Amino acid sequence: MTRLAFLWDQSRCISCGACIAACNAGNYKSSTSSNISWNWIRTNIKRIELDRSIRPMVLLVQCQQCENPPCVTVCPTGASYKDSEGLVKINYRLCIGCRYCMVACPYQARWFDEEVWAPVKCMGEECLERISRGERPICVAVCPANARDFGDIDDPNSSISRRLAESRYVKLLENVGTDPKYYVVVGP
Amino acid sequence: QALSSNGGQVPVIQRTPIYCGACGSKCGLYFVRTENSMYIEPNPNHPQPGMCARPASALQIWSHPLRLRKPLKRVGKRGEGKFEEIDWDTALNEVATKLKEIADKYGPESIAFTRHDHMSWHLPLIAALIGTPNVIGQEETCHGASTAARLAVLGAGGPPSVDPDYKNLSYLILVGRNLDAAMGSVRLLSIAREAGAKIVVIDPRAPNLAFSSVEWIPILPGTDTALLLSMAYVIINEGLYDEQFLKRYTNAPMLIKQDGSPLTQSDLGQQGGAYMVYDSASNEVKPLGAAADPSLMYEGDIQTQSGPVHVKTVFRLLIERVSKYEPRKAAEITGVPPDTIIRLAREFATRRGVIEDGWYSARNGNDFDMYRAILILNTLIGNIDRRGGLCFQEPAKFPNSCTVGPTKIDTILGVSLPPVKSKRVDLLKYPLAVSAFDALLDAAITGSPYPIKALIIVGTAPFHRDVNTEKLKRALEALDLVVTIDILPQDHVDWSDYVFPDLMFLERSEISSAPWTLDAAVIFSNKVLDPPPGVDARHAFWILLELVRRAWPDKAALIGYTEKYSDYSLFEQYEELILYKILDYLSRAWNISKESLEKELREKGYYVLKRKSYEVKPYKARLATPTGLVEIYSLVALKHGLDPLPDWRPPPGYSAPKEPNEFYLITGKDQTVSGHFVFTWNSKYLTERCVWMNPSDAERLGVKDGDVIVIEGVDNGFSAKTCIRVTNRVRPGVLFSYAFAGGHVSALIQPPYDFLRLGVNPQWFTKGYVAPVVGAGATNSVVRVRI
Repeated sequence: MTRLAFLWDQSRCISCGACIAACNAGNYKSSTSSNISWNWIRTNIKRIELDRSIRPMVLLVQCQQCENPPCVTVCPTGASYKDSEGLVKINYRLCIGCRYCMVACPYQARWFDEEVWAPVKCMGEECLERISRGERPICVAVCPANARDFGDIDDPNSSISRRLAESRYVKLLENVGTDPKYYVVVGP
Repeated sequence: QALSSNGGQVPVIQRTPIYCGACGSKCGLYFVRTENSMYIEPNPNHPQPGMCARPASALQIWSHPLRLRKPLKRVGKRGEGKFEEIDWDTALNEVATKLKEIADKYGPESIAFTRHDHMSWHLPLIAALIGTPNVIGQEETCHGASTAARLAVLGAGGPPSVDPDYKNLSYLILVGRNLDAAMGSVRLLSIAREAGAKIVVIDPRAPNLAFSSVEWIPILPGTDTALLLSMAYVIINEGLYDEQFLKRYTNAPMLIKQDGSPLTQSDLGQQGGAYMVYDSASNEVKPLGAAADPSLMYEGDIQTQSGPVHVKTVFRLLIERVSKYEPRKAAEITGVPPDTIIRLAREFATRRGVIEDGWYSARNGNDFDMYRAILILNTLIGNIDRRGGLCFQEPAKFPNSCTVGPTKIDTILGVSLPPVKSKRVDLLKYPLAVSAFDALLDAAITGSPYPIKALIIVGTAPFHRDVNTEKLKRALEALDLVVTIDILPQDHVDWSDYVFPDLMFLERSEISSAPWTLDAAVIFSNKVLDPPPGVDARHAFWILLELVRRAWPDKAALIGYTEKYSDYSLFEQYEELILYKILDYLSRAWNISKESLEKELREKGYYVLKRKSYEVKPYKARLATPTGLVEIYSLVALKHGLDPLPDWRPPPGYSAPKEPNEFYLITGKDQTVSGHFVFTWNSKYLTERCVWMNPSDAERLGVKDGDVIVIEGVDNGFSAKTCIRVTNRVRPGVLFSYAFAGGHVSALIQPPYDFLRLGVNPQWFTKGYVAPVVGAGATNSVVRVRI
C-alpha cells in the first residue's frame, strides 16, 4: 500500500513564510484576492503564532490528509474523497459549494475559494501535478530549513519514514479520531 | 529545458535559473513555468540555494498595482507626492540638462548617488564618467560597523568576505543576527543542525529563527560587548583558549608601550620597523614572527635608545580589559545571568563554536566594539579559517566596473578615464566608513566640505533606511535636483523632482559573484519576464547611461555608449557587450573556456570556480592587517585614534530609559521583510506592523494586544500612533518594530495597500547619532509610551 503523508518539523521551522507564499504562487497564481475564510493569503497553509507561551512557538497547519477524514464523511455528493494513496481530494465537478466539509474539519484546513466556488485545501492543483511527475509538493521543495517532508509512510525507506523513525513527533488533535497524516516533529 | 514529462500526459515544466533580487543576497532560484502557472523554486545545487517568502512573492511585486508605470515629474511641493506623467524623452532630457548645469556651476562632485544592492556594480562606472566620487550607499545603517571591525581585526572586507562555515559548524552564536538572509546559509546550516549543531541567539527580541529549537538569550539592548568580553574573561581564566594559535597567528604577543603604541625595531635602534615580541626561548626581544616561543604574558622594562621602556603584551592588555567584565559584573550590565554567561563561554570554547561576524548591524552606536569583540572571541579559541569555524571566502576575482588607480580609472570596457579629483564627501568625515550617508545630508544642507546639489536615489529607501528623518527632509529640501529610479513608491519618491520606473529582477539578466558562499563562484540570472502591460519600465543602467549621454555625449562615447542605444529595444546589445567583457575577464583570470562558462551560467545559473580551502589565512597567507596577523590589538583603530581593544561603553545612540514609561525601541528584519517585499499582498499577512511589547509591560501599563498607543522619541520629541502586539518575543522594557515594514507615508500608496501606513518607521525616533571614524548610525532609540 501507499500512504502519502506530510512531515513538518517544528524544531527546525524558522517561520520564513516560504511555504506559505510559494503555495500561493504555485497553486493560486500569486493571487492577491482575499481568503475571507481565514482572513489570510490565498494559500493552503495557516500560520498560528503561540507567542504568549513562555517559549514563543509557531504552528503551521494545513490539511492533515486524515485516514478518517470528517470532510469526506459529511460530503453529501461524494465530491470530497480519499484516493488510493491516502490523499484527501476534491472532485470539483461534484462539489455544490455547501461547505459542510469546512465545518466538519477540526483543523479548519479548508477555505472557500469564490473564484471556483468550492472549498479548497492542500493539495492544490499544481502540487497534485507535481507529485504526479514524481516531484515534491511546492511547500516541501522550497523549505530552506529542511523542516518539511512528504512521501509514503508505508515505505520504510522513504525519507519521511526514515525521518519519523529517528524523531519525536506529535499529531494534531489526535483525540478526535481523524488519524491525521501530518506529522509534527518536535525534536530528534 | 524540459526536466520531466510523462509521455505527454503531464504538462511540461520549464525551469530557468535566476537569482533573487528581493533582498541583497542573490539566492539561487529557478523560475518555473508550467502550462498553467509561473512560480519560483530554489535551485538546489546552486552555491547559495534559496529561498524564503520574498522570492516566493516575486510575481506579486511584478504585477503590483502600485508599480511605478511611467516617468513622473513633480508638480506639487517637495514631499507632497503630486506628479504628472511625462514621456521618457522629455524626462531624460530635462534631468540631463539640470545635471549638466549643476556640474558646470558646482563641479561634478556635487552630483551624488545613493543605492542599496541594486546597481552597486554599475554606479561606480556612471560616477567615474561624470567625474564624481559620490556613490554613497546604505552601509551606514547596514554593515558599516561590522565591516570596519573585519578590517580592523582581520584585514577583511564586506560581510561575505568572512562567514561562518554553516554546513560544518557545531555551535553557532548569533548576536543581533537572525539569518533573515541569505537563505543559502540557512539551507547549509540545516545540514549542521541534522548533525546536532546548537544555535544560540543573543537578541532583545526573538527573531523568526528563534521559533526553531535554539537558545534565545534576551539581552538588554546595546550591552552585547559586555557579554562578549565577559565570555572572553571566562575563556582566558579557565585556560580554554588556543595558546598556539594566539602565539603564531595573532598579535597577542606583540609588546605595547605605555603610550599605547607598539614597540618596534626602531625603538631599539635596529634597522627596520618590525613589531617586537618577547621570546621565552631565548629571553630576548625579537621581531614578531621571528621568536621561537613568543611570550603571551611578558611584562617588563626593555632598554631602548631613550632609556628603559615599560612594555606589556597585547594578551596582558586584553586580560586587563576583560577583567572589567567578570560575569557578575557583566550580568548587571546585560541582564543576562552570570551562570548563563559562564555556560555560554564554556560551551563555545569546548564545542569549538563560531560567532557570526555581522551583516545588517548598525544598532546602538557602539557596534564597532561589539564586532571586534566577536572576532576576538573566535580568535581566542583559534577557530579562524578552520572547517566549521569563521572562514575567509575564496575570492571569485569578479571584475569591478571600474578600478580607481593613482593616475587613471580603468573600466571593464578596456578604456581608461581621468581620475576623480575630489574625495568622497563622507570619507572626509568618517575615514573607516563603507558609506556614511549622514555626511552627504550635511553637505547638502551646509555646503561643507563642499556642496552636494543633485541626488539620484537608485533602488533604496532613505526614509526607512537612515537615521534622522528631519535632517533627511531638510537635505531633500536643500537639493537642486532629486531623482528616483525605483519600482515602487518608497517615501522619498514624494520628495523627488523626477521619478523613473525601473525593472524588477525577473525582468533583467544579471551576472555577479556569488556573495554568500565560502566557495568562489559566479552566478547568473536570466531575464524571464517583460514588465506587465501598462508598466513602461526601463533598466536602471539604461536610464543612468542615457542621462550621461544626453548631458555629456563625449563621455558616454568613451565607453561605447552612443545615441544608437537611445532606442531602448537595442539596449540588450549593450548589456551583452558588458557581459562578454566580464566573461572575458573571468575566463582569463581562471583560465577557463569562456564558452563553457557562459553556457553553464545560462543553463545552470552558477559556475563554481574554486571550492573553499581551509586553513589558508592566516596560516599560509598574510592577512591585510598591518601585522599580517589577526589583530586583537587593532593598529588600524590605533591609527584613527580609537581604542585598539574593544570595550563596552553605554550606547551613545540614545539616552538611557529613565522613567517607567520609557522603553528601548529596537528594530530589525526577518525573512518577511525587505524594502520591496513589504509592499506585497503576502506581506500584509506575513509581516507584523504593530510594535511588539512584552506582556508584563502591557499589564503594567494597562494595555492589551491590538490597542493603539502613542510613542514619542525621548531624544527628538517625534511622536506617532501605533498598534501594539503583546508578545513574549521581546524582553521587558524593550519595544520592537520591524525596519522598512511600517509607517509608509507616500501619497502614491492607495487602498488596499494602505496597510503599509500601519505601525511606525523606527527611524522617526532616532537621535541621529553616527559613530565617529566608523560612520555607523544608530537605528535603535528610546521612546516614551503614552496611552
